[in-house]
Amino acid sequence: MPTKEASRLRIRDSSFVGVTDIKRTIMKQQAFATQSITESIVAFAQFVRSHGLNAGIQETQDALLAAESGLMAQRDSMKNAFKAIFCHSPEERLVFEKLFVLFWDTNPIDMEEDRKNKTKIQGKVEKKANPSLVMMGFGETKATEEEAKSVSGANATERLKRTDLSKLGEMEAEWLEVIAAKLFREMALRMRRRMKQSPNRGTISLRNTIRRNLNKGGEPIELMRRAQKPSKQRLIVLLDISGSMDKYSFLLLRFICTLRDYFRQLEAFVFSTHLVRVSKALKLTRIDNALALISEHAEHWSSGTKIGECLEQFTGKYGKQLLNGSPTIIILSDGLDTGAPGQVQEQLMRMRQRCKRIIWLNPLKGMTGYAPEARGMKEALPHLDTFSSAHCLQSLLELENILANA
Amino acid sequence: MHQMQSLQHPAELIAFLDEHKYVADDEMVTALFLLLKLNKPLLLEGPPGVGKTEIALVLAQWLDAPLIRLQCYEGLDVNAAVYEWNYQKQLLGIRLQEGSGLSVEEKEHHIFSDEYLLKRPLLQAISQTNQSPVLLIDELDRSDEEFEAFLLELLSAFQISIPEIGTIKATHKPYVILTSNRTRELSDALKRRCLYHWVDYPDLQKEMTIVQKRLPGIEQGLLEQVVTAVQNFRKRKLVKTPGISETIDWAQALMTLGYRALDQEALERTLGSILKSVEDIRMVKEEGVAALV
Repeated sequence: MPTKEASRLRIRDSSFVGVTDIKRTIMKQQAFATQSITESIVAFAQFVRSHGLNAGIQETQDALLAAESGLMAQRDSMKNAFKAIFCHSPEERLVFEKLFVLFWDTNPIDMEEDRKNKTKIQGKVEKKANPSLVMMGFGETKATEEEAKSVSGANATERLKRTDLSKLGEMEAEWLEVIAAKLFREMALRMRRRMKQSPNRGTISLRNTIRRNLNKGGEPIELMRRAQKPSKQRLIVLLDISGSMDKYSFLLLRFICTLRDYFRQLEAFVFSTHLVRVSKALKLTRIDNALALISEHAEHWSSGTKIGECLEQFTGKYGKQLLNGSPTIIILSDGLDTGAPGQVQEQLMRMRQRCKRIIWLNPLKGMTGYAPEARGMKEALPHLDTFSSAHCLQSLLELENILANA
Repeated sequence: MHQMQSLQHPAELIAFLDEHKYVADDEMVTALFLLLKLNKPLLLEGPPGVGKTEIALVLAQWLDAPLIRLQCYEGLDVNAAVYEWNYQKQLLGIRLQEGSGLSVEEKEHHIFSDEYLLKRPLLQAISQTNQSPVLLIDELDRSDEEFEAFLLELLSAFQISIPEIGTIKATHKPYVILTSNRTRELSDALKRRCLYHWVDYPDLQKEMTIVQKRLPGIEQGLLEQVVTAVQNFRKRKLVKTPGISETIDWAQALMTLGYRALDQEALERTLGSILKSVEDIRMVKEEGVAALV
């Protein structure tokens, strides 16, 4: 049974579409439940929308027009037409195939049996524990009184900036998140500003010069210039989310979200034993939503690490598209590789040929007495342009200089 | 123009495309049909070399309409894509007006008139007076996001605003085809305004038909060997995966050199026309022709 809230939403939805003959409280899930062709198509649009496809009023209208132009006569041409209208990526096209069959080909008789195990509509985000806390290794909230007392004052801020992330208590972690959000935002702003040039430099803008000097008889006395456009870079980030990186991965992910504001194009991947592309999730404006979506995708969160294999997946699957010489690559990992030897080296060599530079940030580097002894890290070192630490907030903020001087 | 009006069903397009040596499947043809009927832009995505650009050329031939092409690249801006003022001519124009006694306003009006306007592809596309042209915006993923945002106005309203002149609205809406290699995800706003079709590598049968169409003189045995080899290449992990155009190049190279079947010698001499990376070529050469066909 739909709740009152849900049915109210649906009513608004169907009147929004502007088709007068459907004023029903429940969305039609199958074609046989509808009365006319028009209603079927509108219901189909609603159906695919409820499954995450981007089908708005414009698309529905297009679908109706397509049907009118004679494509209804054949099943295949109608399907192809709707596909072209409702889908916007290869992934959506796959989903569409299933939805189409589900909507148009379901027989009422089959439905009777099916009623017991009702299909769940996808796309709802379930309420989970605060994703940031889960990722930092604290499943449930069990903050103690002492911890709450131990963090306070301005000095604490400075101290927190330098504290190794793996040594934080839960209270501190929450507070650090607040500080990090603020500092990262400032950093993105500074980096943007730095790229803006003063109006006295840059190339001469003939357009403005001519316009401005018309009243001087067209003699170019006052030169107008065009400010240099900030040259935004392309950035690819590969974040290690294996068990050994647990304490760091959340803050690093937040850091990546900050970078997204500054770079022209940001592609982000997370990896442990498999590589998962999360660029799309990062586009969500609310960081908690983004994190929830990413943790949903990353099945192997907190498992073992196969850096070499994941880098190979990256060069093989995305390398041709993304590595065209200009991007900067940041790898955030502790370099503890359990894959085959030599693989990390080989893949980094391949990546290096096709990117601007590779920056490796290693949280372990901040520990006193750390030397890159791990095999994966040792192999990687000769192929890196920058090797730096990422164990505390301060070290992440220092990346600003490395990136800005590109 | 008349073809457009008499078009009733996507299947009619297939026959024509076939005549023009373009082999298209039902999905592709339906997408084109909708492009013509609904007058919405069509976004084609897919790997390089599968005939995304070619379809625009063939469509223009079919409609007997001019093809206007805009190649996108990093840093493409409005000046290169839409319009620019002819500055040298404007400066000369100002000189010539000296002593003509015109007021500043009149002078300004004169030098910002049509005469001094350089029309770039997008402006050309919407200022056609006779018939709707085909506008091909190629490799849109290479351009900046700013440019993509600029396209939104053009693609939905088919109009362009020039501050000095005003808004120019298309009298004949162009048929727009956009292509992308997916090096980056295009914005949802842009995708929403377009029909979408994913063009993939063809299967064995289809690719053989395509090569046959393009090279009618090819012998059946060689054709089969070449296409099978290429299909094999695509399944492997190569630095650069060959597209259909490379298959055709390769077949043509083999024919030109007079080979009637693919043997080791033929392979070694012509491999450069299908594989474009040293590592790939070395690997395939070592494995020999037997592993391919």
